[in-house]
Amino acid sequence: MKLIRRTDAKVLFHLGQREGNLLVQVLKRYPRVPSAHQRLSKSGLLPNQQENQRLLDEALAEQRADCKKQLQALLADPRRLRKVAAGFRLALSEPDTEWLLQVLNDIRVGSWIFLGSPEGKLEGLSATTAADFWAMELAGAFQMELLQALEEGGRDQ
Amino acid sequence: MAATATPEVVPGVVHETKDKPKSGLEPGYLVICWNDPVNFMQYVTHVFQVVFGWPRKKAEFHMLQVHEQGKSVLTRESMEKAEHYVHQLQKYTLHATMERDE
Repeated sequence: MKLIRRTDAKVLFHLGQREGNLLVQVLKRYPRVPSAHQRLSKSGLLPNQQENQRLLDEALAEQRADCKKQLQALLADPRRLRKVAAGFRLALSEPDTEWLLQVLNDIRVGSWIFLGSPEGKLEGLSATTAADFWAMELAGAFQMELLQALEEGGRDQ
Repeated sequence: MAATATPEVVPGVVHETKDKPKSGLEPGYLVICWNDPVNFMQYVTHVFQVVFGWPRKKAEFHMLQVHEQGKSVLTRESMEKAEHYVHQLQKYTLHATMERDE
């Protein structure tokens, strides 16, 4: 995944054929974090905690559904993801980049959860865990490419 | 039209209650980000910049605090604002919660 150009309006990437196919494959795994995984509080000492937790779960579920729709639209939109002779061109606006980062991190963290939330190096990869390990690593690699592209644009003042 | 009552003020008398209950509008809630081994440091820094509008140095300071001390208190807010920030951070799948500041 190579940054071709960044303007105020969009970021343009080139992906090789195999790389583009891998991105599409990994994105199809979204959403990966189990619903109701996130907790509002650790201590449980908030007022109306149950009700507020329910509202948070609803808001996150709504956001995931929205991201899923945006993702399907991106994958079907040749102006944003286009096959070219040597691979793919991916054109993202800044908001696109932000939700794509969220999507990739959901896949990364969700895959890690399915792997048993290992603290260190994962031991004993099996046929069932290999796909999650693959998705976790690949989502992370694409995420870092996107972050690199954002930073090259000089976000920090 | 209903009349407006004039508040009665007694000079020299101060009514104070100990341990006032915190209302949702008071900045009595901490937004905390917790360490986990899966989120990249660069990603966490980016999310703090986007969600709080912080400059990179401040975002990196809190990211390192999360990494080295296991957690960082990111802000102290009213209940409503703290909920908003927790939601924003969780949208990015960071491990964030809000806790009452005792």
